Amino acid sequence: MSWTKVLIVDDEVEFAAALSERLLLRDYDTKAVYNVDDAIAAIKQDPPEVLLLDLRMPGMSGIELYRTIKEFSPSIEVIFVTGQACQDGDETIPRGAFDCVMKPVDIDELTIKIDKAKQNIIKK
Amino acid sequence: MNRNGDPALTPFMQSILRPFTNIVNAIKKDRYKSLKLRLFFYIGTLAGLPLLGIAMISYFWVFNILKVEFRDHLRWQMADSQRSIESFLQEKLAGLRFLANAYSLDELSDDTILHTIFAKFRKEFGEIVDLGLINSEGIQLSYAGPYNLKGRDYSNQDWFQEVSIRGVYISDVFTGYRKMPHFAIAVRKEMPGKHGFWVLRATVDVETLNRFLSSIQLKEYDDAFIVNKDGILQTSSRFHGKMLERATLKFPVPAQDLSLMEYKREGGIRLEVGYAHIKQSSWVLGMVVQSTASSKMIELFTKDVGTLYLIIVLVIMGCIANSIITSSVVNRVQEAEQRREAAIAETEHTSKLASIGRLAAGIAHEINNPLAVINEKAGLMKDILQLIADFPNKEKFLSIVFSITDSVDRCRTITQRLLGFARRMDVSLEIIDINETIKEVIGFLEKEILYRNVHLDMNLSENLPKIESDRGLFQQVFLNIANNAIDALKDGGTLAIATGKKDEDTLQVIIRDNGHGIPKEVLKHIFEPFFTTKEKGKGTGLGLSISYGIMQKLGGTILVESEVDKGSAFTVEVPVKASIDLRGL
Repeated sequence: MSWTKVLIVDDEVEFAAALSERLLLRDYDTKAVYNVDDAIAAIKQDPPEVLLLDLRMPGMSGIELYRTIKEFSPSIEVIFVTGQACQDGDETIPRGAFDCVMKPVDIDELTIKIDKAKQNIIKK
Repeated sequence: MNRNGDPALTPFMQSILRPFTNIVNAIKKDRYKSLKLRLFFYIGTLAGLPLLGIAMISYFWVFNILKVEFRDHLRWQMADSQRSIESFLQEKLAGLRFLANAYSLDELSDDTILHTIFAKFRKEFGEIVDLGLINSEGIQLSYAGPYNLKGRDYSNQDWFQEVSIRGVYISDVFTGYRKMPHFAIAVRKEMPGKHGFWVLRATVDVETLNRFLSSIQLKEYDDAFIVNKDGILQTSSRFHGKMLERATLKFPVPAQDLSLMEYKREGGIRLEVGYAHIKQSSWVLGMVVQSTASSKMIELFTKDVGTLYLIIVLVIMGCIANSIITSSVVNRVQEAEQRREAAIAETEHTSKLASIGRLAAGIAHEINNPLAVINEKAGLMKDILQLIADFPNKEKFLSIVFSITDSVDRCRTITQRLLGFARRMDVSLEIIDINETIKEVIGFLEKEILYRNVHLDMNLSENLPKIESDRGLFQQVFLNIANNAIDALKDGGTLAIATGKKDEDTLQVIIRDNGHGIPKEVLKHIFEPFFTTKEKGKGTGLGLSISYGIMQKLGGTILVESEVDKGSAFTVEVPVKASIDLRGL
């Protein structure tokens, strides 16, 4: 199985960079971007298979970004990464999102979810 | 405020404040007591005043009627006695006049004839002591009677002077030659064709007058007597002097035939004084009556004991009814106030939980981000260390990194619980079997129970109705309570779980342990967030708080009883039909 292409979008640079490196060490083709514009550009340039998306970011919320991305790349599976509860009253994870993990992230739990997302794409 | 409505204070502060709390409670208690008294007084006054008014009006009304009736009766009695005495005197005078006209001087001068006449006269008219004939010089020419008075000279006596002038005369009472109190009735007869006159005189014993007076019905302190115009008593008197002495009560000469007046004696005693003039004489019939209308009023009440008892019974019944009404009203007020206070305490508790929840969510979110950075950096370090070849202190470095990631895990547990506490819980209702749900929870704890050698005593009632609730939330509550119970147990202790029906609409689950129990001052705070007695790192202090919030949301409640060193019992009450409170915590 080829490496899964993962894009991390999070305004917390240190978090995103470290997570990216850890996933790389686990054989995921990972890249990290730290704002909404870079994210859109990166997706358009080289669409990932799985997107790890922060729920709250300056400029545009993770949910808005999700809707934007789904418009031009509907096949990308999105896993939300959030410092809040996954089922927040105000910011409910959209139905189409693949999953949600809470910060601090359990790397094993995350990789299982990424793998499941990848399998989901293959099934489609 | 906690569920008891007491401020969440440290035991030390509570011990300081306890005397003040006691005073406040005592004041509250006194307040209701004084309210009861005031209400009792007000209702009593409101109900009593009109009654008292009516009673007073009735009293004066009856009193006035009695007064009029009493005076009428007195007047009637006096008039009756007055008429009797007057007709007695008239009768005697008429008799004497008849004798004077029917017999000549010569006939009457004859003792034998006079005796015969006296005997007949006495037989017809009675009540005369003697009969005598006196010439114009005042010498008694003849005499018929028990005394030897023939030849006596009366020329110097008042009565003779009076009869000489007036022709008819009734004397005052005097003792005279016979030394016995009596009075004289005399008529003058002119000698036809000659100058001069003679007088026919009869005397009457004063006892006759006394007999007339005794026919008047007198009470214990009443008096009736006859006085002459100078105030000298003509008869005996009970309280106003001796016969032929001056009466101690002054009588005015009657302006009219019969008068009644009110008289106030020393000491404020009211008297009714009546006086009536006796015609043809200088006498006044006097009556002094102490038994006035007011004493008659008292008599009316004291005599009619039944009425008095009825009034007393009615007053007592009124007081009892008033007391019952007052107590019931004040008790209702007290209950309402207590309910209100409880509701306020409940609201404050909920609002406190809500604000703590918001704060907790904020903190959790803020902490989670740097925590995530630490986690990833440490994780990365661990990954790299594991990949590279051995180097001095590699194991030590790895162990340090593991410590960091373990600590991050602990922090994660805390922040995730904080968020769980804060987040709006979406309730998804389903029909669940309470016993099955509990069995599932026990399944999670089996290892712990086995490891700790805890004796599990399950007593699940059969045939319980299925309930409408949220399985996940419900299990979270049981898991929390059961976990706490196991933590409280010593190895080998007993955890008892029982289910049953509280009533038709409510089921209850009792989770009992025989562990160390919860002290009273701790018990007040166990449902407060972040309150924990567990060792550092072992408890977040959110479990029971969250459980309490969940049960409130599910329309149930959690009750707790505990005794130090004997154990605790948590009772979870859950409605059969969910009544979900959709407000977020």
